[in-house]
Amino acid sequence: MLGGNLRVRGGALFAPLIAAAVLFAASAAFAQKPIVVGASISQTGPLAVDASYHLKGIQVGVADANAHGGWLGRKLVLKYYDDQSNPGTGVRLYTRLITEDKVDLLIGPYSSGISQAVAPLINKYERATPMPGASLPAIFSAGNKWAFQLLPPATGYAEGTLPMAKAMGAHKVAILQAQLSFTLACGRARLDQAKALGMDVVYSTTYAMPPPDFSSIALAIKSANPDAVVVCSYYPDAVGLAQALHRIGYAPRFFAETIGPAEKQFNSAIGPIANRIMSNTSWWPSLKTHGNAAFIASYKKMFNEEPDYHAAGTYAAVQVLGAAVKATKSLDQTKLRGWLATHEVETVQGTFKSSPTGLSLKFGQYMFQIQGDKRVLVWPTAVAQGKPEVPYTGQ
Amino acid sequence: MIVLQLVVNGVLLGGTYILLAQGLNLIFGVMGIVNIAHGAIITLAGLFTYWFVTETHLSPLLLIPPVFIVMLVVGGILQRLLLEPLAKLGRSRELLTLMVTFGLSYVLVETALNFFGSQYVSLPDLQTTWSVAGLAFNEALVAAGALGALISGGLYIWLRYTASGQALLATSQNPVGAVTCGIDVRRMRAIAFALGTALAATAGILLILILPLSAPTADTLTILSFVIVALGGLGDYRGAVMAALLLGLVQSGVGYYLGGDAEVVVPYLLLITFMVVRPQGIGHATR
Repeated sequence: MLGGNLRVRGGALFAPLIAAAVLFAASAAFAQKPIVVGASISQTGPLAVDASYHLKGIQVGVADANAHGGWLGRKLVLKYYDDQSNPGTGVRLYTRLITEDKVDLLIGPYSSGISQAVAPLINKYERATPMPGASLPAIFSAGNKWAFQLLPPATGYAEGTLPMAKAMGAHKVAILQAQLSFTLACGRARLDQAKALGMDVVYSTTYAMPPPDFSSIALAIKSANPDAVVVCSYYPDAVGLAQALHRIGYAPRFFAETIGPAEKQFNSAIGPIANRIMSNTSWWPSLKTHGNAAFIASYKKMFNEEPDYHAAGTYAAVQVLGAAVKATKSLDQTKLRGWLATHEVETVQGTFKSSPTGLSLKFGQYMFQIQGDKRVLVWPTAVAQGKPEVPYTGQ
Repeated sequence: MIVLQLVVNGVLLGGTYILLAQGLNLIFGVMGIVNIAHGAIITLAGLFTYWFVTETHLSPLLLIPPVFIVMLVVGGILQRLLLEPLAKLGRSRELLTLMVTFGLSYVLVETALNFFGSQYVSLPDLQTTWSVAGLAFNEALVAAGALGALISGGLYIWLRYTASGQALLATSQNPVGAVTCGIDVRRMRAIAFALGTALAATAGILLILILPLSAPTADTLTILSFVIVALGGLGDYRGAVMAALLLGLVQSGVGYYLGGDAEVVVPYLLLITFMVVRPQGIGHATR
């Protein structure tokens, strides 16, 4: 008994000393040169709305990593610049990050277009780089072995719309695409999917970005009178087309747009006509993925808002990069590349697994629908929170 | 019926273009300068409208009278401080005024970025669509078109039938002759820039109801406005109205029959065509 008390007393005596030693060791580690993670983000231009979440996800990922002692006992510091939604500027900024700032690690930019422009540079300088804004599969070709896709491929965006619509009796579809790498890949995939499902494509067009006035396109859609309209869009064109359809008083039975409806400001931008619009996502708050609850809590604490899938994708990029650094105990780019190409990592977005050329193989795609002031996961049925509400009424 | 709806859409789009371009046209007509800051003023007014409506939940139309008056004053001050000192510099004046308005545009865009951020925003106000004889008329487009028509009509009556308007017209046609007739051309230049600035801001209030705007949209709006002014005949008020309507109608038809990519190139194809076939523009220059 006495001995027991002595042990307790001894533990009590040593506890502050041990804590002080740990703190000293941690502070000594944090006193080392930090690991600098570099990226360019579209803070201005037509991609700025979606890219703002891209940045926030990285910021939360870096903050969480630091809260858990950093990597290799070193603190993480994020260095980023505004690429103005411009691929040329993105290339210039990544050159600067690599050659002038000499950052330790890179995370890819937002959008397939800018990632496509940056990927050859990443290969030239042999930097193992997760690309959370690059859904375009062509980026991850045999020639681009240093870039790793951290999103499901663009070909899977809005892929649930047509099977759902067909199951509910839809036959005629209209497919629209913005003239950008990701949206064109998405549009081509949906056109192929419509053909494979035996559906009739009654209208299809592409449009430039920044988006034009959509009045005429809306009228052309109305003339074709499709059952389902699928738009491979970003934020401003998703808003513009929904408004234009409303202005001519037309509401297709199924209406799906990529990316734009995922952002919270979509509802306030177009009001009640957002109701029953469908969209896709590669992440959802209710999914039981690795660290999802902690990610949501950290994000809310940091930004006082709900995250979206762009933020989850970039947070996953930090998770993947961290797993590689910790496993290899190194910042050596060749070791990191080798590890990323051969290992799976559980992330908030699901399982990261890469093909030898960096194409993501295991991330899933889901569909949600705006139902009043809520967003409800409606596809696939295995994880759905509710059923899709049809028809879209435009009000 | 589709053709009629395309015409309605084209006219309403043209009305919006009139609203966009008349301020730039007025300033060019009287002062002979291209106001590069034109799009920035439109965008800043649009983003301010977004902020005002989301904060107060009041109608954006309530902003038109106060913003018009405030921007009249701001425009007058800017002209006196930035542009009037350059008026006596002879041939270098045109290049210098271009640089000054470019600098002003840069400052305004950066201001908009700092205050309102870089994101695209739009307002769901005035989105009611009326159906008349099977044709759809959207409230926001009708409001923009009606205001464009009102402004153009008002400008025409003012310039043709009032002493101050005729003095402004005389200044635009022949500044030296206007001075010899006793017209205060300095005052006329200030009035033109003030009015042009106020018209641009008014356009911004309505444009946020029609198109998503963000601070970097400013350049696109300046270019589009300039194309309309150039098509109309650089400073020709009736020409600008005709150019805006022509552009709206052609874009409406091309967008419907050829798709979104073709629609975007229409303003520039029309401009190139007119520069080759009719370089003086659509109207007869009143300058």
